[in-house]
Amino acid sequence: MLQFQQIRLPEQAEALRGEVREFLREAYPAGRRRNSDFTSGHDPAFSAALGAQGWLGMTWPSEYGGAARTFFERYVVTEEILAAGAPVSAHWIADRQSGPLLLRYGSEAQRRKYLPGIIKGESYFSIGMSEPNSGSDLASVRTMAKPVDGGWAINGTKLWSTDAHRNHYMIALVRTEPPGDNRHAGMSQFIIDLRRDEGITVRPIRNMSGSEDFNEVVFQDYFVTPDDMVGEPGNGWTQVTSELSYERSGPERFLSAFRILVELARCLEGGSSAAQAELGKLVANLITLRRMSISVAGMLENGDSPSVEAALVKELGNNYEKLVPEVARLALPVVQRSPDLTAALTDTLLLSPSFTLRGGTREILRGVIARGLGLR
Amino acid sequence: MSESQLIVETAERIFADHCPPEVVQGAEEGRYPSALETTLVESGLNGIGLPDSGTAWPELFEVLRVAGRYAAPLPLYERLIAQALLGREAAGLGLGVWQDGRVSVAWPEQHEQVLLVDAAAERGAIVATGALDLQPGHSIAGEPLATGSAAAPDELAVTGVGDILALGRVAQMCGALERVLELAIGYTSEREQFGRTLSKFQAIQHSLAVLAAEVAAAQRATDAAIAGCDPLPRWTDVAVAKVRVGEAAGVCAESAHQAHGAMGFTQEHRLHHFTRRLWAWRDDAGAEGEWAARLGAEIVANGADNLWSFVTSHA
Repeated sequence: MLQFQQIRLPEQAEALRGEVREFLREAYPAGRRRNSDFTSGHDPAFSAALGAQGWLGMTWPSEYGGAARTFFERYVVTEEILAAGAPVSAHWIADRQSGPLLLRYGSEAQRRKYLPGIIKGESYFSIGMSEPNSGSDLASVRTMAKPVDGGWAINGTKLWSTDAHRNHYMIALVRTEPPGDNRHAGMSQFIIDLRRDEGITVRPIRNMSGSEDFNEVVFQDYFVTPDDMVGEPGNGWTQVTSELSYERSGPERFLSAFRILVELARCLEGGSSAAQAELGKLVANLITLRRMSISVAGMLENGDSPSVEAALVKELGNNYEKLVPEVARLALPVVQRSPDLTAALTDTLLLSPSFTLRGGTREILRGVIARGLGLR
Repeated sequence: MSESQLIVETAERIFADHCPPEVVQGAEEGRYPSALETTLVESGLNGIGLPDSGTAWPELFEVLRVAGRYAAPLPLYERLIAQALLGREAAGLGLGVWQDGRVSVAWPEQHEQVLLVDAAAERGAIVATGALDLQPGHSIAGEPLATGSAAAPDELAVTGVGDILALGRVAQMCGALERVLELAIGYTSEREQFGRTLSKFQAIQHSLAVLAAEVAAAQRATDAAIAGCDPLPRWTDVAVAKVRVGEAAGVCAESAHQAHGAMGFTQEHRLHHFTRRLWAWRDDAGAEGEWAARLGAEIVANGADNLWSFVTSHA
């Protein structure tokens, strides 16, 4: 059966909370609070300020410039920043998963080259996993790296790469061998320089909310050398799946609608008991989700790989993020909504279809959980 | 192994040996589980949570969680809580709940006396069961539950009683939810339809994934509320747990029954021993809506800009 141990954030991590709040009051004053969605707000200046605080790559070893702090401390920093609605999108992927991937599988030269920039909040990464004809079925990727003199030539298309038009690098999953009987074999990961002129075209795709966050990235004989390969050739599938526990259990999986709760609470001053009860239910769910997420952070801190528990947090968390606007809009008459509540509802609803898609769809996650239960 | 784990293991062993499905079904048909009761008394588990027992509220709640896992059909919740509230051994003392002039007493025929408590005023009194004006009846779980009216009990202080009553039910529900998930996985892994086990159908897998997620959330909320006892439960943790576990109870009972098909709707199958108790317990000591309203009022009074601090202060 699944295990979410009773884990509390240690005092050392809690001690950091006040410091982060103080920093946010200075760097990101009240009055311009936006939604807590991790994709809203690409702000290199803010990312660099976080880097200067030592709050990016903060669990990484000091030899690369990391602060060698615990996952719990990182948890406190990320949740505080998200809750405040600060713009985190620029450094988000680099700090959450590209850096840890390079630490685990990258060469010494790659770590020395890329990690310091991530830690300073100056070097940003995108994910290059999905493709036009492989949505959730990642093993069906067709982008191919063909051996050429001194390296490989990459041809194919990556899709839904968030911020590829603004970031510096992408870690792309590509085939280094044609598909065989084992569909998980023959894939490798390469670091792609998104700003190179030759062999790569990055095209933003406007989403339904009107903003341009995700991209189509087309490779035409894009040249990579062995220095650009992350890990062993053919080990791509294993490496990609190892990223997922980091990707799926964090506070960004249930905080996207947090601004609504704050504005709803403000509108419910003097409100009816029934309406306040709706707020109470939402907060009870939030507190429980956060506790589960902290349990997973504890498992990561212990060096475990809690992929099923992480999938479960994401499944519950994403459903919750979608439920919040639905409950909030009915908790009080439309005319009693403040402009800030209306804005928070609008922002959240327009992004909400993506909640149960990005980072693994609901259907994929339920499959992962079912496997963990021994059903498949 | 900690003292607390040892107690849980002892309880687990006793219920596994003495509270099999036949005993629960026997109670449905009016046969009181006297042998189970005797074993509980002899094991010393009936003294849990008393001063000098080396145990406190957390151990008491953990034992109730085990009892929930076995749908133990006897007034353990009532006796353990009544006794621990008094802080002294009181064999055979039951529990009555008074609210707004109405009183309810579970298992009245098992108790000559009950500790009658008023959760709102945190006051109580020991009264003779026979002196109360009670009409016999049963809860939705089929357990004896007499209801009537009485004067407010006002002889002694019972601090935190409302939170204790709620967290006791939360613990029992958590145990029952764990069992419901186990039954659903077991049944769908054995039952064959269209040439394969139900567990191989994606629709079933996804439904059980949701069930498992609800149970995991219920467990986490319960663990946190129990761990937060100092020495009494913290009311906001209880509110979070009663709301979240109550929500899970409804969702899980529904989906476990769907997974079990008509088989789970029979008297013969044990699933209803747990689902009917979940339906009863979620309404006891305040349903989700009542606790959510208290929690919501607290959050609003606390100030919208302090909402995040409220969340992080419930680790």
